Amino acid sequence: MSAPAIVARHLKKRFGTFVAVDDVSFEVERGEIFGYLGANGAGKSTTIRILCGLLEPTSGTATVAGHSVAEDPEAVKASIGYMSQKFSLYLDLPVAENLAFFGGAYGLSGRALRRRTEEVLELSGLAEVRDAQTGSLPGGIRQRLALGCAVLHQPEIVFLDEPTAGVDPTARRIFWKLIRELSRGGTTVFVTTHYLDEAEYCARIGLMVDGRLVALDTPAQLKRTHVPDRMFAVRGPNAARASGPLRQVAGVRNVEPFGAGLHVRAEPGRCEAQTLRAAAGAAGHQVEVEPIDPTLEDVFLAVVGRSAKKEEDGA
Amino acid sequence: MNPVSRFFTRIGAMAAKETLHIRRDPRTLYLALVMPVVLLLVFGYGVSFDTDHLPIAVVDLDQSSESRELVRGFTASGELEVAARPANAEEAERLVQRGEVLGVLTVPAGAGRDLLRGTAVELQLAVDGADGVIANQLLSKSEALARALNVKLSPLDGVAPPLEVRVWTRFNPSLKSAFFFVPGLTAYLLAIAAVLLTALAIAGEWERGSMEQLFASPVSGIEIILGKLLPYLALGCLQMLLVLAFGTWAFDVPILGSLPLLFLAGMLFLVGMLGQGLLISVVTRNQLVATQAGAFSSLLPSLLLSGFVFPIENMPRVLQWLSHVIPARYLVNALRGLMLKGVGLEAIWGDLVALTIFAVAVLGISTARFRRKLA
Ligand SMILES: Nc1ncnc2c1ncn2[C@@H]1O[C@H](COP(=O)(O)OP(=O)(O)OP(=O)(O)O)[C@@H](O)[C@H]1O
Ligand SMILES: [Mg+2]
Repeated sequence: MSAPAIVARHLKKRFGTFVAVDDVSFEVERGEIFGYLGANGAGKSTTIRILCGLLEPTSGTATVAGHSVAEDPEAVKASIGYMSQKFSLYLDLPVAENLAFFGGAYGLSGRALRRRTEEVLELSGLAEVRDAQTGSLPGGIRQRLALGCAVLHQPEIVFLDEPTAGVDPTARRIFWKLIRELSRGGTTVFVTTHYLDEAEYCARIGLMVDGRLVALDTPAQLKRTHVPDRMFAVRGPNAARASGPLRQVAGVRNVEPFGAGLHVRAEPGRCEAQTLRAAAGAAGHQVEVEPIDPTLEDVFLAVVGRSAKKEEDGA
Repeated sequence: MNPVSRFFTRIGAMAAKETLHIRRDPRTLYLALVMPVVLLLVFGYGVSFDTDHLPIAVVDLDQSSESRELVRGFTASGELEVAARPANAEEAERLVQRGEVLGVLTVPAGAGRDLLRGTAVELQLAVDGADGVIANQLLSKSEALARALNVKLSPLDGVAPPLEVRVWTRFNPSLKSAFFFVPGLTAYLLAIAAVLLTALAIAGEWERGSMEQLFASPVSGIEIILGKLLPYLALGCLQMLLVLAFGTWAFDVPILGSLPLLFLAGMLFLVGMLGQGLLISVVTRNQLVATQAGAFSSLLPSLLLSGFVFPIENMPRVLQWLSHVIPARYLVNALRGLMLKGVGLEAIWGDLVALTIFAVAVLGISTARFRRKLA
């Protein structure tokens, strides 16, 4: 099937006078890992809830797994898995009972339920803790269980709302391995996150700022479009003090402290690493300079800075 | 899999999960199964507490040897003790008010003559009803004594029954007895447990966020409601069995009427209470508020307006009117009729209809308000 997994058209959600989601349109391809990024309150959860049929949009339409969310919410619900932002499994029940319950809620029973429960326990590395009370487990394992509950019925699409929030880096890596496995198996993954390093794993990224989708592309293309400048890392014992002379170099747009060193942004083609090294050396600071790739953080800062500026101009 | 078996699979999953919650939650089990027994004991202990030498006043208006014989017969066993012999009713009343005696036995003028003639003699026993437990003992003892005296006296004349004890209770005209508190307590306990537990369990799903998770699944509103309520219905039935069994076994409360009708009335009441809990949780979506609303809306009415503690006939008009919308009133009435009077369907069908109307209405309203949306 080639129809997109998710189609959102001019989605808008208003709470009273506050617009939480404002004219958001996008498509998500089947089997894709789609990252949905934005600061607190940007409207990520609200978008997911609309797509899952939990909130009615003020206006706009959404199609999920080929079904209209407004007209056929039951068909949508049968084809998706949802992991809400707040951990909401039953802490007083053992791991396996949580899985069994959600399996039953999706209509699985008997041998099919038992088989899927075993598969998911195995897949998400929960087999050893199957009888442990869920409340006694650390956050990372709980989140894996929540993911397991969301994919037990083998949905076409899973919506994961900040699945790695507050989870330690090792557990986050394990979690993302699971996400990639799901995607390899053909499941479409719609995931929101605060962690920009995680977003690199996504095939495409949508960036939300104050309810609006301000950028949408692959990570590489986003960097090219939004951070066209070349980036250099400046390191050395006195790197921080070189910031003044480096600003004077032709083509340099911006010099920012980064860790113990500096990050320099320059117009493409106007200056190279050795130009910068020479300028710093001339001022008496021995530094090392090497070109670096912009990160999604740079993209995020550029985009957010630009839309904040637009807002000021508009006002 | 066909839609029907999916329907039952989902309800089964919900109900099985709820049963696990119940089994793991000591508070639930305490409220449903331990508290009833404790309360029954607290109420029952006071009643079965036996006292001798209950002081009474005797107003002998006849002053014949026969009348003195009669009074001696009443007090011979030592259970009742003549503490005073006032000359008239007013004096006796003062003694009661001062708490010196618990009751007044009045022998009317002409009693001796009537006894000799074989015509019925009517003794009056007025009991201070302020302390229901003591008053109840006094009543039952006097009644037993009167019956015994009757037997003793009747061969003398060959006319039966020559003696009749007419009982008045004062200050608390609807004296509670062990027989009366068991039906009332049953309604009270069922109401509290059913309303509180369902309100808590369902509000908990909202608070935890698992309701959102359920709304994103294909489980329908009806399936969630049935799956949540059925385990508490079962728990309520268990509770009812426990209270009735304990009441009949420990306090000899009779069940003269039909047992199936008894359970029908109890089930209808339970369904209404579960619906009330559901409605509260749907409106509040919060455990703390649901607890307060649940306790307030179940405890007070079933205690005060059901006829359990205060007889409905003696209430102010407004409260009488209000009691008509309190389902506990109908259950208490039906249970008293079925257990104590042995009446049949013809006497309690109105109560059953009222309980059904309440159950259908409250479930209907809460189901209609239960929409699978977050806002
Ligand atoms: N039911 C609601 N009623 C009123 N306002 C709401 C409601 N739900 C969300 N909002 C508001 O809408 C805005 C967007 O919320 P949303 O939860 O979608 O943000 P988010 O991007 O998921 O943020 P976070 O990273 O904190 O989860 C927030 O300002 C929030 O306060
Ligand atoms: Mg959110």
